[in-house]
Amino acid sequence: MEGVGQPAKMKCLEGPHLKQGPAKSCVSLAPEKELVSASQLEEEEENEEGEDDLDPDPDLAPDPEEEEEEEDEKDLGDPAVLSAVHNTQRGGLSSPGIKIPDVLGMSPTSLHFLWQTLDYLSPVLFRPKFPSANSPACHFGHQLLLPDPSLFCSLPTSWPPKFSLPSHLTQLHPQHQRLLQLQQHSRMQSPPAKKPWSQQPDPYANLMTRKEKDWVIKVQMVQLQSENPRLDDYYYQKYYQKLEKKQADDELLGRKNKVESLKLVTPYIQKAEAYESVVRIEGSLGQVAVSTCFSPRRAIDAVPHGTQEQEAGAASSQRLQVLHHIEKMFLQLLEIEEGQKDGPPEPCYSEQQSNQVEKLFLALKTQEQNNLEEAADGFLQVLSVRKGKALVARMLPFLPQNQAVSLLLAITHHLPLLVRRDVTDQALQMLFKPLDRCISHLTFHELLQGLQGLTLLAPGSSERPVTVVLQNQFGISLLYALLSHGEQLVSLDSSLEKSNSDYTTWTDMVVLIAWEIAQMPTASLAEPLTFPSNLLPLFCHHVDKQLVQQLEARME
Amino acid sequence: MNYMPGTASLIEDIDKKHLVLLRDGRTLIGFLRSIDQFANLVLHQTVERIHVGKKYGDIPRGIFVVRGENVVLLGEIDLEKESDTPLQQVSIEEILEEQRVEQQTRLEAEKLKVQALKDREKEVQTEEVRGSQS
Repeated sequence: MEGVGQPAKMKCLEGPHLKQGPAKSCVSLAPEKELVSASQLEEEEENEEGEDDLDPDPDLAPDPEEEEEEEDEKDLGDPAVLSAVHNTQRGGLSSPGIKIPDVLGMSPTSLHFLWQTLDYLSPVLFRPKFPSANSPACHFGHQLLLPDPSLFCSLPTSWPPKFSLPSHLTQLHPQHQRLLQLQQHSRMQSPPAKKPWSQQPDPYANLMTRKEKDWVIKVQMVQLQSENPRLDDYYYQKYYQKLEKKQADDELLGRKNKVESLKLVTPYIQKAEAYESVVRIEGSLGQVAVSTCFSPRRAIDAVPHGTQEQEAGAASSQRLQVLHHIEKMFLQLLEIEEGQKDGPPEPCYSEQQSNQVEKLFLALKTQEQNNLEEAADGFLQVLSVRKGKALVARMLPFLPQNQAVSLLLAITHHLPLLVRRDVTDQALQMLFKPLDRCISHLTFHELLQGLQGLTLLAPGSSERPVTVVLQNQFGISLLYALLSHGEQLVSLDSSLEKSNSDYTTWTDMVVLIAWEIAQMPTASLAEPLTFPSNLLPLFCHHVDKQLVQQLEARME
Repeated sequence: MNYMPGTASLIEDIDKKHLVLLRDGRTLIGFLRSIDQFANLVLHQTVERIHVGKKYGDIPRGIFVVRGENVVLLGEIDLEKESDTPLQQVSIEEILEEQRVEQQTRLEAEKLKVQALKDREKEVQTEEVRGSQS
């Protein structure tokens, strides 16, 4: 007997009753990952009651010659050496693929039964096992099945011995067994018409992966665990004891090899000491309900549990505060919008509404801060959030002009900062329309104030804010809108030209901006949302031709 | 069963053809593709088989997901022996018609039974009345 592979899995049937044929050596075929030999299996009748002399059915009892033949064939002359691998092999076998050697094809009759097996190996439960040969007195009809769990072969159901042999732990009804044997006989006598693999490879096999199967088994095992199996699983334990005893006796009687039968081993899982029905995970909203098989899911409370965790760092808490603030203001805004009947949002005339608007404006401007600086900072933080921008955009139409102007000025003064903070959102655009409307009502002086913020060099930086602004769509649109309005004011009211200081400032700024535009490479110049028509004429007035040409080129 | 000796599990039945009987009386035949711990089943290339007398008809249904609690029993089908049946396969329309006819006869039989019982009830009542009167 050759043993191949690590756990000796080669099995050849040896037994006192196999006298007929010459002892044929077990053929070991292509050693694969795991070599399992499916030796032939005999049926042995196992009666728990003890002796039970079953009269052989007349139709079943083969005549002696036949019996002998069968016994001969039972010989492991051509043992089926099956290597169970986990991949499907040819012939469309489902999970484990088997390499059934040609041996089988040639002499299927040498195998009485082939196990239909589990789909994959379970190393824990693997035991080398020999099929037990019963005493010579037993004839075929009485022979019971002795399972060989070490045989892992999964065959296509078209394989001649088609029934699945259950483990010794569940018996077939004697009548059932006889029926199967009868069928077996009839099939063996007729030449096997079909090849072992009559099916095409099953393309849908293994939809359930091994992991998933393991998982299901695990779940089932967990449900079976018990601290006291003798109590919980009395009958099975007793049965198993009897079985073991019988096998030990058989061993003593003369079977050479010890047959080990499998026992159900349930996992031991430590039960959790304390069961919390509701788990709060750090950093996430809400609660997760935990259920075990002994305590089903508890309803989650809608009430916040215990203490909230301390905010991680001032930054996140501040951000949350800002968001919170925005939400509150939004609610106020929604009320105002509700109050406004159909039609575009207008500065309201009813007292109640104007109160609401006032409140909202204060909330926005002052940020409930006492410190002016912090208030300004708060306003900018609101504008740094997308929702904050939406809030301001929707709020502007309701504001009286002076308040709107103050917002506008605040925006223009901090435009570079806002532009920088808007990189991710790209949401400043929504502010343009309401601001544009506001701009069109600006006085000349206010306009200049707005523009000044852009043109003045910030301390400690060599770059004028304008440069940054020109590269941003919102910024450049706002700038153009301001310039356009200024030009409009000037052209409409010639008296402005006379007030020197303002006008000089104006011309200076225009020139400066024109120069900056000319300086900027065309590629970095942003595309404005609207292009006012009076800009070029404006520049024409104040700058030389050359520059105008350059500007023209860029602003096209 | 070998890896969980002493228990019953559907793991080895996967990718095999099964006949499943449901609680509502339907018979499904399909390849068992997936299971879970509740014995919910995923059946592939499923066919609903209707039996009337010696005839049967198959309605192709595709993929079925069956909730475990609705299964009465299921068993593996021997692919070779499958065709070896004394039953006669007929078309879907025919079997549905047969089923309808069978249903009808059953209902009518029911009706007759109910009617007979009612009649008997009345008889008993009149007897009782007569009995009490005399």
